[in-house]
Amino acid sequence: MKNKKTFGQWVTSYTGQKYLTTFLFLLIPLVLLVVFTFIPAINMVIFSFQSRDQFGITVEWVGLQNYKTVFDTSADYLITFKNSIYYMIGSAFQLGFALLLATILCSKIKFKGLFKGVLFFPYLMNGVAVSLIFRRFFQMGDGIVTQNGTLNTIITSLGGEAIPFLSNPNIANFCLVFASMWKYMGFDILMFIGAIQSISQDVYEASDLDGVNPWQRFKYIVFPSIKSIISLQLILSIKGAVSVFDIPYIITGGKFGTNTFVIKTIETGFVFKKFGLASAMAVVLLMIIIVVTIIQKVLFKEDSDYVPKRRRYFRDKEVAK
Amino acid sequence: MKAKRVLALSLALALTFSVAGVMTGCGKDGKTGKDGKKVTLEVLTQRTDLDQNGTLAKVTKAFEDANNCTVKYISYTNYADDVSTRMGTNDFGDVLMIPDSVKLEELSNFFEPLDTYTNASTKWDCVDSKMYEDQVYGYPTALNIAGGIVYNKTVFENAGITKMPTTPDEFIADLKLIAEKCEGVIPLYTNFAAAWPLAQWQGLVCSASGDSSYETNILKDKSTLFEEGNAYYTVYKMMYDVLSDKTLREPDPSSTDWDGSKVALAKGQIGTLVLGSWGVAQIREEAVKNNLDPDTIGYMVMPSNVDGKQYAQISADYCMGVNKNSTQKELAKKFVEWYCADSGIATSEMAICAVKGSEKPAFMEGVNTFINEATPEEYQGVFNKIDKESEIGTWDTDVANFKIKMCEAAFANKGESEFESIIKDVNTKWEASRKEIMGE
Repeated sequence: MKNKKTFGQWVTSYTGQKYLTTFLFLLIPLVLLVVFTFIPAINMVIFSFQSRDQFGITVEWVGLQNYKTVFDTSADYLITFKNSIYYMIGSAFQLGFALLLATILCSKIKFKGLFKGVLFFPYLMNGVAVSLIFRRFFQMGDGIVTQNGTLNTIITSLGGEAIPFLSNPNIANFCLVFASMWKYMGFDILMFIGAIQSISQDVYEASDLDGVNPWQRFKYIVFPSIKSIISLQLILSIKGAVSVFDIPYIITGGKFGTNTFVIKTIETGFVFKKFGLASAMAVVLLMIIIVVTIIQKVLFKEDSDYVPKRRRYFRDKEVAK
Repeated sequence: MKAKRVLALSLALALTFSVAGVMTGCGKDGKTGKDGKKVTLEVLTQRTDLDQNGTLAKVTKAFEDANNCTVKYISYTNYADDVSTRMGTNDFGDVLMIPDSVKLEELSNFFEPLDTYTNASTKWDCVDSKMYEDQVYGYPTALNIAGGIVYNKTVFENAGITKMPTTPDEFIADLKLIAEKCEGVIPLYTNFAAAWPLAQWQGLVCSASGDSSYETNILKDKSTLFEEGNAYYTVYKMMYDVLSDKTLREPDPSSTDWDGSKVALAKGQIGTLVLGSWGVAQIREEAVKNNLDPDTIGYMVMPSNVDGKQYAQISADYCMGVNKNSTQKELAKKFVEWYCADSGIATSEMAICAVKGSEKPAFMEGVNTFINEATPEEYQGVFNKIDKESEIGTWDTDVANFKIKMCEAAFANKGESEFESIIKDVNTKWEASRKEIMGE
């Protein structure tokens, strides 16, 4: 029989200290999470069933009306997802480039670390900074108030005529996608490098003995090993594409056909003071992202199941010992 | 044992810090402590420029001395949004500029009534701007011409323009003259990238109508916004025509710079900017900064006429109100009266003080100005409600706004039919929301 410990004793004991420390360490992040994420998120869901403005003086419960408005195809809400397609296509190209660069960086070249650092750097930069850089990059000057940006300076110095990149609805989206690719490519490269480097050296050696060329090596060894990472990145890029915001908002303000769903949500809330409707839009976006995440989980179940099984095997063996 | 020691140590530390805090606190307050309890009035303002260059503090010295109080200004660059967020709590200063995000019918939830309209209207002009059901919640800090065109007189002279335009066609013809005769001058700068300057075109609408109850009449007559030849149509058709001609505006509307455009207008590199008359003071200031003659900056009203007469509507700038939760309401009310009537800030900004019979700045001489009639009670806040509900946003510049769509269509030179289809869309939305809110 153990003696019943008092609370004071328990706290000073090893287990007590362990729990206390864990609790104290978790307390601050949990409080922050609850206060700044969960409570606002719950409020947002509640607001989405109301007709209300920012101040919430007159609040009216409207049931599913806000959701009906969002999904009303004659209104301008859902259509703003259209531009996400540009970003999705862009991210497919981005993955291709990233894979190419990652493969190169994994081969025997000089200054590997430097290149990795340079390529990863844009990802570390704030989205606002990246947007400002590209706003300047694509700018076309009038020679009086504003001067030509980097790209137009090059074009004019080569004898071409300056192009208003951001004021042409046919080009503007591509410029924004380019900025987005530039920012996020570094992350993809890093993921790919990680995946490629996890391929066992033995496999390469064996293939060398069989006399494979680099293309065969990529096709039969590298690609199958990193397939799951590629699909993961593709799905992550869908999430990014539906919720794209900072780059178009700062570079073009959503004008010239570069509007996105999140910009529309902000305007619905803060320009037209329809907080209920804006909350419903945010919930719809959240739902889309949850669905995509579920798809991702389902698709990758096979792979993730595979690994634990093997681990279980080893664990069992260990236990048996 | 150990825990106790830790506890004791932390307590001791906490005590040390708080004692230190109290002592340094005393040190700071020591100087003002002499003259007893001095109340502090917190004032929220959008004028970051006047706050930072010390003008506000200098002017307010007189009020502080007379009332034995301290006035603390807090200025916001993004005033309306930041203060609206702050108004989610009860702590939003003692005195503040009333943001337009507060609906008229909800004013009483945030602000202390200052006076009845019947009373206030004998002393103030445009005092109906923040009133609901005969209660006035804020006095205008200044009055301005809502919309007009700031221009550079030298540019007009060089282009050989001697007579100010009185119709949109004459205005466009003048801009074309500038484009032809003045090398390297942009006739009209849109400031499209910043978006808000486009809302300045809306300021021209009431002036173009020459009607002091224009918005009320739209509601009363159950008419739509755009009808061929009416004020909305005239103003925005003029905008569309100007912007459709790419020699009359900047080459890339996505690359504009507001601060740069003020300097360029002062220097005569830009011919005209569409702005409320509040812009005159700012551009003259730029001229002085660049050692140029501020008198080259001119201001013309909307180039259109009603029966041969040109009008300019005078409207209120931000109105100043008193927080309902303030602990010093009497002093706060006194401050509002002083700021709006006696501080002289409006006059120094080349605007009109809201007290009846105040002097007009020189550039408004000879202009037919009028002030809008107070909205009858049954129509108070209705225009705004329809405007927001339909998401037309007459004063807004959101991405899907009709002004932005018109500009984009004009930049792409899509022609007359596109303009017609945009205004048709606005009219349909207006009709639908008006019926929903006002009934048939």
